[in-house]
Amino acid sequence: MARSVWKGPFVDAYVLKKAEKVRESGRNEVIKIWSRRSTILPQFVGLTFGVYNGKKHVPVNVSEDMIGQKFGEYSPTRTYYGHAADKKAKRK
Amino acid sequence: MTGTGRICVGAIAGAFGVRGEVRLKSFCVPPEAIADYGPLWTEDGTRSFAVRLTRPVAGALGARLDGIATREAAEALRGVRLHVDRDALPGLPDDEFYHADLIGLAAHDTGGALLGHVRAVHDHGAGDLLELARPRGPAVLVPFTRAIVPTVDLGAGRLVIDPPEGLFE
Repeated sequence: MARSVWKGPFVDAYVLKKAEKVRESGRNEVIKIWSRRSTILPQFVGLTFGVYNGKKHVPVNVSEDMIGQKFGEYSPTRTYYGHAADKKAKRK
Repeated sequence: MTGTGRICVGAIAGAFGVRGEVRLKSFCVPPEAIADYGPLWTEDGTRSFAVRLTRPVAGALGARLDGIATREAAEALRGVRLHVDRDALPGLPDDEFYHADLIGLAAHDTGGALLGHVRAVHDHGAGDLLELARPRGPAVLVPFTRAIVPTVDLGAGRLVIDPPEGLFE
């Protein structure tokens, strides 16, 4: 069942505080968080979070199309090394 | 990429049918692209096969290889890894790189100190990440962005990383 709209999106309070602090300071910094359950809010766009996956913090650059998703979706807990083959990486 | 400048793009999973077709496991994106790069070579470079895809089969592709006409010959190739010449891959626009080219590059900071070597490239949905194996300490994931990786010099085999605070902690 979906979350009730009247409650608003869930975000752990410390994530909001940390993000606000970094935004105010204007520093280029990875914000380490453990809260994989927190929703990505519009004010997080442009920030880089290090989302814990149980072993390490995976850097997540927040972009507009990620709003409404959870942080944990971008920090997989299992590692898979495939073959490079003809796969391409784009520098954004 | 192998030392001979060849890239592994697939493997033969066994025979398919009784007329010499093989089950081809493709590592390419999309899988059908394996047939676009010309002849495929075995790992030691002694044999090459022209490939013609015939049909999709469960978890793989059905294919016909040049010179393989019987099920026995196809079955004998089970487990063989197939490679293409790096030069057979088409050129890419600026700021786009093959994973095979990035893997193994030495990563330096802006001061010239060695940070590590690229071990793998991941994409978890929030942009590409370079996994750096460091001389000491655990591996680190670095976002592959212009701000953090301003220079990629494939010719010199190196890239420059300008890490944000907290990335290497």
